[in-house]
Amino acid sequence: MTDLTASTADPSLVNRLVVQGQYEATGNPSVVLSTLLGSCVATCISDPLAGVGGMNHFLLAGGDGSGTDNERYGSYAMEVLINALLKLGARKSRLQAKLFGGATMAGRMGRIGEANCRFATAYLETEKIPLVASSLGGQRARRVRYVPVTGQAQLLFVADTFPTISPADRGASAQGEVDLF
Amino acid sequence: MSLKILAIDDSRTIREMLRMCLARAGFDVHTAEDGIAGLDCLPEVEPDVVITDINMPRLDGFGVISAIRADAERTALPILVLTTESAQDLKQRARESGATGWIVKPFDDVKLIAAIRRIAAT
Repeated sequence: MTDLTASTADPSLVNRLVVQGQYEATGNPSVVLSTLLGSCVATCISDPLAGVGGMNHFLLAGGDGSGTDNERYGSYAMEVLINALLKLGARKSRLQAKLFGGATMAGRMGRIGEANCRFATAYLETEKIPLVASSLGGQRARRVRYVPVTGQAQLLFVADTFPTISPADRGASAQGEVDLF
Repeated sequence: MSLKILAIDDSRTIREMLRMCLARAGFDVHTAEDGIAGLDCLPEVEPDVVITDINMPRLDGFGVISAIRADAERTALPILVLTTESAQDLKQRARESGATGWIVKPFDDVKLIAAIRRIAAT
């Protein structure tokens, strides 16, 4: 992974935080996406040829992360990011992914981190999106910075820190809504 | 006889989820990977209900709806849109194109099955 320390210190760059339940996609070369991960997983996907990329940040909440509801939510988190990239000019056949997170945080969330990792890697494999880099599992939180237009990422392990940024409300949107005309 | 469902979605993950969910409910489920493939298999499958995603390569969900409605033999074929999109203008466009309903992902099994049974019965 490329060291972004110098570029992210550039005052002309705009840092956007992606919290749990959110995603962000852009073709703006001035944007750096960042997040802080414990058990959650962030999927960073880019189409370097189109110069667009983005990040999601999700947690398959509930039980051990398995089950259809969790899989559906995870698929939704992936699909909204991919659709946003396609709208910006990406092609699915050119997408490349990087995965981060899924730690087993001591005393928190059981083995949910492993389930998040399993889901994310299986999803990318099923959708035939190459996983070009990853840092998954372990027991430490991670800080990730990602330049979406190039796909470059910077990873920093954060010892003994659990992310405290409030998640976006998973149930606040129209998800699951049925509208018969 | 089982209701025949044709589910059109470019995500293999979603196609498999739909197949499992709807087959468990007793439906005869067929899938296609994009709008063109979906329209191609219509004459062979002759579905009772079509479920289509909106954002797909080659031909999107709006194209699927318009093509089906342009076929005089399929003007009454129920079409459910199943999408991550929830914008009112897109929903209105689907309605005007001839969609029967709009469901926002991630879908709920019970609500999806109820919607299929309801539109297939009308």
